[in-house]
Amino acid sequence: MKKWNALFLSMVMILSCFSVSAVAEERYLGVMLSTNVMSLDTNLATDGESFEVIADCIDGLTQMDADGAAIPAIAESYDLSEDGKTYTFHLRDAKWSNGTPVTADDFVFAWRRICKEAGEYAYMFDSSVGCVKGADAIIYEGADPATLGVSAPDPKTLVVELEVPVSFFPSLMYFPTFYPINEAFYTSLEEGTYGTSPETFLSNGAFVLESYTPGTANLTVKKNPDYWDADRVQLAGISYQVVGSSDNALTAFKTGSLDVVTISGNQVASAKKDGALSEKLAVTGAGYMWYLSFSQTENNAEGGMLANANLRLAISNAIDREALVEDYVMDGSLDTYTAVPPQFAASATTGADFSADQEAFADICGYNPEKAEEYFAAAVAELGKDTFTFVMIYGNNEGDEVAKVAQAIKSEVEEVLPGVTINLQPMTKAERLDKMQNDNYDIALTRWGPDYADPMTYLGMWITNNSNNYGFWSNAAYDQLIADCTTGAYISDYDARWEAMFKAETLVMQEAVIAPLYTKANANLITAGVEGIEFHPVALNRVYKNAIIK
Amino acid sequence: MKKSQLTPAPQAAEYVPVSGDFELLEQEDIATDTNYASQGYWKGVAVHFMRNKRAMLGLVIVITLMLLAFIAPMVSGYEYDEIVTALNAKGRKKPATGISPRVPAIHEMLTGEPYDDLFADKVFLFGTDDLGRDLWTRTWYGARVSLMIAFVTIIIDMLIGMSYGLLSGYFGGRVDNVMQRFVEIANSIPRLVIVSVLAIFMPKGIGLVIVALLLTEWIGMSKIARAEMLKMKEQEYVLASRTLGANSWHIIFKEILPNTIGPIITQVMFSIPTAIFTEAFLSFVGVGIVLPQCSIGTLIEDGFNNITTLIYQIIPPIVVLALLMLGFNFIGDGLREALAPKLEDM
Amino acid sequence: MKKYVLKRLGMALLTLLIIIFLLFLLVRVMPGNPFPSERMNAQQIANKRAELGLDDPILMQFWNYMTKLLQGDFGMGTSLYNGAPIKTVLNTCVSNSFRIGGLAVVLGTLVGLLLGVCAALNRGRFLDHFCTVFSILGVCVPSYVFLIFLQYNLSYKLTLLPYFFNEKQFLQSSVIPVVSMSLFTMSTIARFTRNEMVEVIDSDYVRLAEAKGLHGGRLVRRHVLRNALIPIVTVLAPLIVDLLTGALVVEKIYGINGIGKLMVDAIAGEGVDYNYVLALGILYSTLYIGIMLVVDILYGALDPRIRVSAKGGANE
Repeated sequence: MKKWNALFLSMVMILSCFSVSAVAEERYLGVMLSTNVMSLDTNLATDGESFEVIADCIDGLTQMDADGAAIPAIAESYDLSEDGKTYTFHLRDAKWSNGTPVTADDFVFAWRRICKEAGEYAYMFDSSVGCVKGADAIIYEGADPATLGVSAPDPKTLVVELEVPVSFFPSLMYFPTFYPINEAFYTSLEEGTYGTSPETFLSNGAFVLESYTPGTANLTVKKNPDYWDADRVQLAGISYQVVGSSDNALTAFKTGSLDVVTISGNQVASAKKDGALSEKLAVTGAGYMWYLSFSQTENNAEGGMLANANLRLAISNAIDREALVEDYVMDGSLDTYTAVPPQFAASATTGADFSADQEAFADICGYNPEKAEEYFAAAVAELGKDTFTFVMIYGNNEGDEVAKVAQAIKSEVEEVLPGVTINLQPMTKAERLDKMQNDNYDIALTRWGPDYADPMTYLGMWITNNSNNYGFWSNAAYDQLIADCTTGAYISDYDARWEAMFKAETLVMQEAVIAPLYTKANANLITAGVEGIEFHPVALNRVYKNAIIK
Repeated sequence: MKKSQLTPAPQAAEYVPVSGDFELLEQEDIATDTNYASQGYWKGVAVHFMRNKRAMLGLVIVITLMLLAFIAPMVSGYEYDEIVTALNAKGRKKPATGISPRVPAIHEMLTGEPYDDLFADKVFLFGTDDLGRDLWTRTWYGARVSLMIAFVTIIIDMLIGMSYGLLSGYFGGRVDNVMQRFVEIANSIPRLVIVSVLAIFMPKGIGLVIVALLLTEWIGMSKIARAEMLKMKEQEYVLASRTLGANSWHIIFKEILPNTIGPIITQVMFSIPTAIFTEAFLSFVGVGIVLPQCSIGTLIEDGFNNITTLIYQIIPPIVVLALLMLGFNFIGDGLREALAPKLEDM
Repeated sequence: MKKYVLKRLGMALLTLLIIIFLLFLLVRVMPGNPFPSERMNAQQIANKRAELGLDDPILMQFWNYMTKLLQGDFGMGTSLYNGAPIKTVLNTCVSNSFRIGGLAVVLGTLVGLLLGVCAALNRGRFLDHFCTVFSILGVCVPSYVFLIFLQYNLSYKLTLLPYFFNEKQFLQSSVIPVVSMSLFTMSTIARFTRNEMVEVIDSDYVRLAEAKGLHGGRLVRRHVLRNALIPIVTVLAPLIVDLLTGALVVEKIYGINGIGKLMVDAIAGEGVDYNYVLALGILYSTLYIGIMLVVDILYGALDPRIRVSAKGGANE
């Protein structure tokens, strides 16, 4: 056995000689990704991680500034027509990483392709969001992609025609779905290989892809010397590492393997006690809001019991959101009492956050056991029944805290409303979505992240027949309000539209169509000396163009 | 009856031997030695087992764990899914999250002062988890589930796996070929696929886990049993037994089985933790037991998720599992020695 | 013997075909959606399904799949790494898992055998007890706990080894996962070897060999180990498949892009990716059937008595 010990020790020693890590001349920023990058193709990417890496490498017409406002990127400037329906973007001289210039045709090609393929994010072009002319017909009816209202009269001019004025259109342009792809390069590749390796991916942005294969757990990007704004970019590169467990993230951070990590709520509590660590803690909004969706159809909830608004209000009032975020989520997430979460949609005229006032509906959905009992009594009288058993579904692969929140809600609701039993049913996110889309659930713990900086990214979900209206709630007045805001009366009057959206939100809250719970935050640890990383709750979660390592 | 007609009638004329004269008798009770009075096989096994100190220790461990699993959750004062709360100074309810193991009386005796938090008077022998539930209660509640999984595994291994392997190995040839192809098919389809499909037809929970184990857990054992059979069936004592007129059933289960008991018991012991972790994996993917229920496997999983912050959380389930394994192994060793005693052990 | 091997090979291919067909059917009834989406409407999803041919009759789908498969084309993912051919992703993941798993098999088997033999030769003494405790711990402490322990001590405290797996530093960064993954195999093999050896040592022919004056290494190698090996090969075979096809949690913690994580992502990730589940299922079953084939042939090589029965069967 001694011999064996000696052998093992010597092995370790030999290996340790190898392992003295090659001292890089330029230090890359080590960044944690919580899941794998799914695709670098803007048509196929659906996750925040992919969008982040794509945005490192490709610039759109506009880009985000530190506050999330749109500032010029590839488009130096733009003109807006009188009627607000035609944008003319003037492109600057920028180059792809293979040396060819970035032209308006690259945008036309990419946009047509996305509408033709009609993938996950194609809806950003349709009449519910971007309202680009002809998009609906191409995406949903298979019309000729050439009919899309986008054209390139010359290589440096891009003209976009809209169906109706869209006040936030320039800020849509920093979303990766609207990024350009070089047509000549794309068509020269074998089918299905675009964006699967550094050789098959072109960048025109701050960084170029250095190492990547689909499914990899570590990828690197390095500074692009030919970037049009190269002087601004300070980082030599970024080395991304997929870290599956947040526990591991903390230790990796302590070893210095990673400079930017996201940790779980439990760790935040212990990091706060640790002086050195607590200084490096930065809580940033992650954007998405967790809420309860109630199925209101006959098929579910003991024959449509949850169609009763009083019962929904009773459940909503039985949940102590403050306790949820303080005692269970613990990562700085915000308890939320509005159907549109705070911190992502600011008014263009006043600059005020749409949901800054969290008190507005607090008396409708806030924690109030007495009122919950009253509502419950009313529901019992209306339904002629005093015990209810509901199944609550939630995803078990959607974050550490979700299972905790589900159990806390069960325990709170059952305590306040003795007649209600909630059985928990964890499943994968895919299965949860499947059940919700097929109207096969009672209560679901679900989330939605804003795709663009306008309250409509939430409010648009609850109109009749929207595929995200999982509760199958239907209200003619609400539908009319939303129609007026997207295509009707209010589109050219910014403040009136803002007012109308607030009215719509009031309807949702009064009827407890959903029970908002909390707006997720990310608790990040950032190495001392690393500054200037911009965190956003919408579109791109992290932007590194201004980041420096001191 | 047909059979009696076939029996050759006594003949007066000179007898010409035919091939049917000598046939195997296929006797059931070939092993019964009537010349010597014996104390009985099972009585011997029992005596041998009881004399084995290690085996008895194993038995004590397993029984103690079973008793704790049964009784502890009932007398702990907490429910396994209860979030222990207390009102803080502002009158808000606070859960007892992340409290390390504590017994207030001992703490006061050692330090001279009580705990200065909301739960100063509460006993948490194993601490609480990140939701504020008592881990002592949960550990023993979880032990129930895992003990059940362990016994189900033993039954599956012994009934299905062992018989399947022994029969497949003994009959060999075409039977073996077909049986082995079936094993390959059963084992080749990823378990997660089968369980996900099963979950459509039956509710998630312990029942589904058991069905999942039934489907594949016996395969390892059948392989071992088959290999042992292949090794044993050519041995002289098997031939002897056959010649004496023992039928296949007797040879397989009374002659060969006791001689293969060693590797079989070892395999059973090793398949228990595998089954316990399979259950944890299934629960983790969402097709196992339903929260807030727990098992040793899911408790280890939870502990692992909190290993940097609540380091004490992973220890009790791992220790319980290790004790359980140790106990089962001691019993297994004892059984092996008792069932197939070697000369020098006697 | 040659005829036997050919016959077994034919059987194996047939079995494989049946498995692929069963998988093909099962995957299509799994809950979850191959096109998980919160933003596409029903029409868009229906179009995507039609594009992939999911609405064709099942036998036609199977035929199309098999024709493509025989040309080495696994198709594209639907919800996982969509846009990249499965072959590309599989290449990376398989090479990582096979290399790490392979090393773990070698390490686990060698050390396990050594430990088992030493324990059997020192029956009742310290080494034997050590072997027992070690093998019990090895099976009931999951490999990721060992991994965390090693990672914490070797990478974090001593900074001897990388904290995460990195393909560019394969050798250094695979030490921790290899060691932690091999422990289960090591303890299983050690235990089985010990028990088998003890049984063989007690057998008459070893006593005879001893009586004839054979002893030491020659006795162990020629008479004891060879006979003890058969059940060990049987235990080892499925362990090899398990190790090669990756350990989910180990991969997750140590940042390895391997098969284990890919499988769980394909089934329980964003959606149910039919093509990935199929590709991985085929890979797994091919591996399993292949290894079982080798084991069956090895039996013959290790024990001539079995070869006899393999030809005709003892009871025929």
